[in-house]
Amino acid sequence: MSVYLEKLAEFSAMLRSQGLAVGTQETADACEILTVIDLSDRETVRLALQAVYAKSREEQAVFQHCFDGFFVSAEQRDALRRKQEAEAREMAQRRREAEQEMQVNGQPMDLREDLQEVYVQMGEDKRDQLRQMLEKMKGNLQRSPKLYSNFIRSVFMRFLLEQQMAMEDDAAVGSEELDPDMALLYRDISQFKDADIPRAAALIAAISRQLDAELSRKRQGQGHSGKLDFRRTIRRGLETGGSFYRLSYRKKRQKKRRLVLLCDVSGSMLQFSEFVLRFIKSMTEVSESSQTFLFSEEVREVDAFALQNMDAFRDHVRSSGLFGRGTDLGGALEELCQRRPAPLGPSSTLLILSDTKTIDLPRAAQAVVEARRQAGRVLWLNPIPQRKWPYMASIQTMASLCQMAPCSTLEELTRSCRKLMK
Amino acid sequence: MDIPALQKKLDEAKYICSGDVAATLLVALRLGRPLLIEGPAGVGKTEIAKVMASALDRELVRLQCYEGLDESKALYEWNYQKQLLSIQVQMDRRDADELTRSLFSDEYLLERPLLRAIRSEKPVVLLIDEIDKSDEEFEAFLLELLSEMQVTIPETGAVKASSIPFVVLTSNRTRPLGEALRRRCAYLYLQYPDIDKEMSIIKAKRPNVNEHLAVQVAQAIHDLRQSETILKKPSIAETLDWVSALEALGISDLTKETARQTMGFVLKSSEDLEAAGDVLYGESCGCGHDHDHGHEHCGACGHHQA
Repeated sequence: MSVYLEKLAEFSAMLRSQGLAVGTQETADACEILTVIDLSDRETVRLALQAVYAKSREEQAVFQHCFDGFFVSAEQRDALRRKQEAEAREMAQRRREAEQEMQVNGQPMDLREDLQEVYVQMGEDKRDQLRQMLEKMKGNLQRSPKLYSNFIRSVFMRFLLEQQMAMEDDAAVGSEELDPDMALLYRDISQFKDADIPRAAALIAAISRQLDAELSRKRQGQGHSGKLDFRRTIRRGLETGGSFYRLSYRKKRQKKRRLVLLCDVSGSMLQFSEFVLRFIKSMTEVSESSQTFLFSEEVREVDAFALQNMDAFRDHVRSSGLFGRGTDLGGALEELCQRRPAPLGPSSTLLILSDTKTIDLPRAAQAVVEARRQAGRVLWLNPIPQRKWPYMASIQTMASLCQMAPCSTLEELTRSCRKLMK
Repeated sequence: MDIPALQKKLDEAKYICSGDVAATLLVALRLGRPLLIEGPAGVGKTEIAKVMASALDRELVRLQCYEGLDESKALYEWNYQKQLLSIQVQMDRRDADELTRSLFSDEYLLERPLLRAIRSEKPVVLLIDEIDKSDEEFEAFLLELLSEMQVTIPETGAVKASSIPFVVLTSNRTRPLGEALRRRCAYLYLQYPDIDKEMSIIKAKRPNVNEHLAVQVAQAIHDLRQSETILKKPSIAETLDWVSALEALGISDLTKETARQTMGFVLKSSEDLEAAGDVLYGESCGCGHDHDHGHEHCGACGHHQA
């Protein structure tokens, strides 16, 4: 029995390390249930433990992965060990090769450790590309060793960074393929196909209803103004024979913040902006009294309610002359700040939807500072996945100037909207 | 009771379920844990509580959740009118303390579903339906009941459960439930049934339906659920309604025309009804593939031909 307990405790710890909220109660429950089921039936054991440990659909996926890895037969364990040892040997061999290959003039290249590891892990075809490049540069290297060794290093670094980003993208694919809606929730908005759009629109409507409900509940719970509501009090008193057993108070008046949306509609941002706009406008609790501006190289104010449809939105952007042009965030923000009557003010929240790719970054940064001074709050929604932020200087600059939230997926967009409601 | 025995009982109650559902139900029952069931609307979440009541031969006590639900509707409420009347009638009574005490007795207590479930002498099945529609405050209020099987009435003190009810909570995931509530429950996620299971359900619930029609309906429902253009997926109850409608009209073969006539029993919005023709019969497919291959899918475009 103690062996079972020990194994279960280890399994609980493993689940905990994978992010499941597993406490002693769950381990005790698992122990109890194992005493009454047929332990020789692996499937029954899996289902019983799953019911005890996994408390959501997402956790069920993590549980199954852990269960398959933890409860293995002796043969499977040996096979797994042999496979891991072979992989470790292969990786060691590749590291030795990489050390020899990443040399310039007989000296090891000055590269970060994580990038060296990317070189070890990337495919043979990609490594071949770098080897061929090195081969071509050999003659030049002998003529001007210092200049060309720096050039080779920078080419290596750029190539390896791109590979690192690609590997991270691959790791994210398929990790949330649990059910179609959930997959859609976690998929990059820019990757949505036309067939996904009706489902995504339905999902957006459902999420915004949920957010609206959460917000109205939050407001309901904010207490009363302290002033008695005579009409309601007398009405309620009638229920108890004229005794004012329960008093009713007037509700606090809610002051909603004014929302100013500035959406980038240049090139790849078009689909993203349409989704975000649809999302935010469908939240009635935040959309009252708001202004929407679209920009690429110029700025146009639009009626967002008339554009709650992908085709209408695209047609409007094309006919307005904004489509297919570059991005000038600095110009757009400057115009917004100078506009009269002023859209920005202390009670307004400026929401910028952009991937930070703009001409004249220093001017854009200055304009953000000015917008922050004029508006009560500036929140930036960025469609670039957060894991890629460290690779992009423009994002780092803008993130240091205002609050930036990732929203490459509908799930991230939901989280950002919750932030917006606070 | 073991898994096959429970599954047999559920079969007898005409609830067709797989081994994993039976296993989870058994775990919750054995551990005395509440069972949280999530899944899309119409997969049979509420039905589980009903059939468990029937299988365990227990009374079903149901609490339907909604926004604004509070303990006066879910747990108990004092009968204020009766209390006031009683005060006026017994105004000249000398023992005021005794009168006050009597005002907070069972006589003036209006029992709501939660209190009824835990004060019942015989164990019951307590269904807390659509918990996601209630407020977070109510969810927090449930924690005491779900973990300690007791509730506290400020005027009288804690009420311990006379018998442990089998608690079933259902949620459509319209809002995320709190971690604290989840931790106290066993968890089950229900999905739409596959074609074979749908057929078994049709046969169990509508035993007189002809086999050919049942196959056609199950296949059509499966196609509608798989389609991305259908926004509100048909529920199991809608499948059964459709079968009943077809039976009532004396239809024994599902053709394009009969499907069109009765589709209103399955799909409830004009957009979905419009899209159904494309999904089932490829009316405006436009994929350029030959669709004269009988009652089959077009592998290239995913459309379905009659």
